[in-house]
Formats: sequence, structure tokens, C-alpha cells
Amino acid sequence: MASLMQSLKNSIPSWLTGRRLVIGLPYAWFLILAFLPVLIVLKISLSEMQTTAVSGMVSWQGTWPSIKLDVSSYLFLASDELYLATYLSSISYAFYTTLICLGLGYPFAYFMARAPKRWQALLVMLIMLPFWTSFLLRIYAWKTLLVNNGLINNALLALGWIDSPIEMLNTPFSLMIGMVYSYLPFMILPLYANLSKLDGRYLEAAADLGCHPFKTFWLITVPLSKAGIVAGCMLVFIPAVGEYVIPELLGGPNTLMIGRVLWDEFFSNNDWPMASAVTIVMLLLIMLPLAIYNKLQSKGHA
Amino acid sequence: MENANKSPLANEPLLRIEGVSKIYDGLIKAVDQVTLNVASGEIFALLGGSGCGKSTLLRMLAGFETPSQGRIYLGGTDITDLPAYQRPINMMFQSYALFPHLSVSDNIAFGLRRDGMAKEAIAERVEAMLKLVQLTQYAKRKPHQLSGGQQQRVALARSIAKQPKLLLLDEPLGALDKKLRVSTQIELVNIIEEVGVTCVLVTHDQEEAMTMATRMAVMSAGSFLQVGSPKDIYQQPNSRQVADFIGSVNIFDGLVKQSPANSAQALGIQVECADALLRVPSNQACHTGMAVGVAIRPEKIVLSRKKPTAKVNHLAGVITEMAYFGAHTSYHVKLASGKVLQAQVQSHADEASADLSWGDQVYASWSDNAMVLLTQ
Repeated sequence: MASLMQSLKNSIPSWLTGRRLVIGLPYAWFLILAFLPVLIVLKISLSEMQTTAVSGMVSWQGTWPSIKLDVSSYLFLASDELYLATYLSSISYAFYTTLICLGLGYPFAYFMARAPKRWQALLVMLIMLPFWTSFLLRIYAWKTLLVNNGLINNALLALGWIDSPIEMLNTPFSLMIGMVYSYLPFMILPLYANLSKLDGRYLEAAADLGCHPFKTFWLITVPLSKAGIVAGCMLVFIPAVGEYVIPELLGGPNTLMIGRVLWDEFFSNNDWPMASAVTIVMLLLIMLPLAIYNKLQSKGHA
Repeated sequence: MENANKSPLANEPLLRIEGVSKIYDGLIKAVDQVTLNVASGEIFALLGGSGCGKSTLLRMLAGFETPSQGRIYLGGTDITDLPAYQRPINMMFQSYALFPHLSVSDNIAFGLRRDGMAKEAIAERVEAMLKLVQLTQYAKRKPHQLSGGQQQRVALARSIAKQPKLLLLDEPLGALDKKLRVSTQIELVNIIEEVGVTCVLVTHDQEEAMTMATRMAVMSAGSFLQVGSPKDIYQQPNSRQVADFIGSVNIFDGLVKQSPANSAQALGIQVECADALLRVPSNQACHTGMAVGVAIRPEKIVLSRKKPTAKVNHLAGVITEMAYFGAHTSYHVKLASGKVLQAQVQSHADEASADLSWGDQVYASWSDNAMVLLTQ
């Protein structure tokens, strides 16, 4: 038995220590499930569509490999204004969603953090409660609420406040309702985590130095919760830009979002290189500002 | 600063606390009927263990808590219902509460900006404050880039920048290590005296209270046990609790045998203890048969091998413990009754006690004035 263990031990290479294994796992995860897929998408975006399959990038001619990069998808992307307009409208929908979520979520998180300790767990539960129902079901529920003969219109008609149903479904309004509703918890939770750690003595110190509570909020509470604001905004903004399901179900013909375009390119046009190019540009549009922001942040601390 | 202390009434103390109580949940009395006057220029210490109500009292002065009963007056004005941000009182917080996102100079300027002072005037005041606490070269740093001692000085500068009528210090040296504490104590008092601001400080450290305060109150269970100068409280404690809290003390329990009231001889009060009959010079009211304590500070006890010549104030015993502290040596002397007496002997003391050691038979003696009668 001992010799078996010994031989097992010997068969493990010396560089493979427990420490490296533990640190290596998340790296391996990231490499296989995030980095590699992006590389594959990048590769497809630089290929050509040959009827049903994507062309190979590397072909062997004698001993030398020849690499063929096809940038036509990117060129088309740049030339067709529809793509640019869709990117801009995606970003602006995501931006307004983030803004409204912040506006609604901050006071929400603030009062949650200030609530008596015994209530806080319950309040967090209430925020998480919708996650127990499928996201898709909840969006469909909004559909039935907002539709012309839905609950809201019927109620308003019955009250006599309106004469004919308000066109709400499949408009930018219904899209924003769905987006804000779906992403609000992602704003509230990091803000709550941050605000509940805020040391009350800072607020007392500000009051002691003659600062009115309203002013203290802007001068102390908001700056000290910056990390929570940034985390919440990223958690809302990034997925919101690429959102597909909500614009598909609640959006209309004039609510262009890049997720829809992606779907169409992949599954309707069957143009994988084009779809991949759209993806890569979207990735860059989101990642670059973030990278620049992080760089500035770390500079500011140094 | 001085003009800030002029009160409308001639003999009005700067701070007047009248029958202030803080009751939580209708029954827990954190502060119980406290009345106190603090004169302008005083450094007043509230001393007590944790949960004695000293911090609650301080927080009521700052305006973070509202008294359940009683009123607080500052310079003759009732400030009980004034919110914290309108009181001309500033506080140096325990562990400082410096704003982490603001630089040292912005922290100091914070209160000044709230007053709408002119920009140049603020810059000038901040400059003066930085100079006062010797941190001029650290003006642009963030609090986390400073050492504990430097942070403490920023906190002090921030709390006196507005030239408050009253400065509150909450465990001002609690976050510093012991060596730094002693030098900082003196520095802190020097700065406070230079600025001339009246202070109320809260501490659980009796040494800190005694070195810094001009007057102090010993607190327990929400009320004052004794108020007086540090010397008075040390020399003449009015109760066992105070004697015990301030420094170490030997207490002999006994019954009053004869008090001056029923004896023509005014030799003081005779107390019958297990070990001896003690004659305590005191004019406190007491009656025969009353249970009292007689307190003697360890440093007032003299140890010797030879029997003292005086007829009273000495007891024989055996040394059971000794500990050398450099400047003094501490002994435990076991008396015939089994009671252990603590004695502290200065290292440069005379030959008589020079080479005492474990197991030695000794005589402990003291003067009449070393004894304090404790009736409660």
C-alpha cells in the first residue's frame, strides 16, 4: 500500500503542487470558457462564408502554411449605417437602463442598509425573490400587463381616465420597463452590500463639523459608495448592451438592439463571419472604455 | 477663541448639564440624573469602565443622542434640542473617523467650508492648523497613508479648526500604542492649552485622565461617583469603588468602635479590623458599629525588619510575593489574619527595606494621613 502511494506520488510531476492547482483552476476555467471562445469567434469573423460552412483560415500549400484573413465582414460593418445606428441605440438603451436603475436602486439600497438589522435579511430576500421564477416567464407577464387589452389598459379604461387603450407594448417604453425591471436587483445588491458597510461615524463626523444631512449624503455617502455604484452600473450596463430576450419580447420594430442583429445574422442570414464581426466590435465597444476607466482608477490611487 | 467663552451671565459656567438622563427601551438607564458644570478653559475627564455611560453622555453633548430628561446649556444657551450640525461643539472621534476619500487638508477644511468661509481664509486656517500639529508636508496625503499618530493629529486639527466653544475627545489616545501614548498625551494637552479651548474627554484609562485633566468625574452605572481634581480623587476617594478604580489600594474592613461624637478625645475614628485597631483621622459622620473600610495606598506603606517605634499603624507579616519594576518593587505581605497587603517600595529607599525577599518576616507601617475612611 505504502509503495503504491509512493509510486502515485512519483507519477505527479514536481511542478504540480496543491498551491498551483488551486490558483490554476480559475485560470484554466477562464482560458477554456472565456478566452478560447472569443478567439474562435475572432477567427470566424475573419473568415469567409462558403455556402454552409465557414472557410478555413490556414491552408497548407507545400511546406508553408498560408493564412488568409478576410476582413470583408468588418468592412461591411463599417459601411452599412444600420450597424452603427444599432450599436448606438443599444448603448443608449443600456445607458438609460443603467441610469434609471441607479436612480431607483440607490435610495432603495440606502434605506435597506439603514433599516433595522432584523428586517434587512427579509428585504434582501424580497429583492432576490423574482429570481425564483424564470426570467422568461416574468417578461411574458409584463407582456400581458402592457398589452392593449391587458390589465393596465383595462383598469385605466374602467376608471374612465382614458378613452382608448394606450399603445405600450412593443415600444421603447415597454422595452425600458422590461430592462429596468430585470436589471434592478443587479444594481441594488452591490449597492446594498457597499452601503451596509458604510461606517456611521463618518456621517456623525460630518454632522459634528456642521454639515447638513442632505449635504452629507452628497459629500460623504455618495463618494464613499463609489465602488458599489461602479459595480452596480457595470453589472447592469454590460449585459444590457447585448440584451436579446427583452427587446425580442417587449421591444418593437423601432427598438433596434445589437442582440437582435446578432440573432438575425447567425440564424436568419446564416452569415457566421458577419455575426462574429458584430460580436467582436460589441466586445471592443464595451471592454475598451472599461479598460481605460480601470487604468485611470489605478493611476489615481498610485 | 477667548471671546467665544464670554457668557451672557456673569457666573455662568461654559457648560452646564442639568439632571440629564438617557433611558433606553424605557428601563435601561445609560446615564442617570447627571448634573455637572464645566468652567471655561477646563479640561474635564469622564472616567469609567465600559458601559458606565461616559460615551453616551459625550454623545449627548455632541448632539448624536437626545437626553430622555434634563437640559444641556452651553454659554447660558439651551442646546438640548439643537441638532449636531448646528452646535458650536466639535468632537475628536475614537479612532478618528477621518474621511478616507479626502486629503489631510480637505479633512481639516471640511468644517470650515460648511460655514461658508472665504476660500483664502480657509486656506490660511488650514495652513495654521497643519503647522500647529506639525503635518504641513502631509497636506496632500490621504488618511490611510499616515501613521496612527499622524492620523490622530489630523483628527485633532480637524476638530479645533472651527474654533469650537467646546471640544469633545472620545478616547483620544485609545488607538495608539502605549509608548506613543505618553508623549502624545503631553503634546495633546499643550495644543489644547495653546488654543485655549474647553475640553470634555472620555477615557477608561485612569492614567490618561489623571495626566490630562484639570478636573474629572468617576462614572459608574450612569452616574458620577466622585467629581474633583485628579489629586483629590486619588488622595481622598469617597467610596470603595473610586478607591479601587483609581490605582491599586489596600482596604481594611472593620466596624466603627468609637467615633469622636461619643469620645472627648479627638483622635479620630477608631475602626476595629481583623488585624488591628486603626485610628483614622477623619471628620466624616459615622456611628458606632457602622461597617466601614480603611483605604491605604500601597506606595504609602513602609516595610522594615525592625519593629517600628510608634505604638500604632504597624502590622507584622510575611512576604509572599515580590516583583521588581525598576523604579519600584512591589511586595505582597500576608498578615496574621490571612489578608494580603500590597506595598510598593521605591528602589532608592533606605537600607531597611533594601534586601527584603520571599519568606521574610517584616513590619508594614504607615502614617496617620495615609489612611482614608470609606463609609460607602
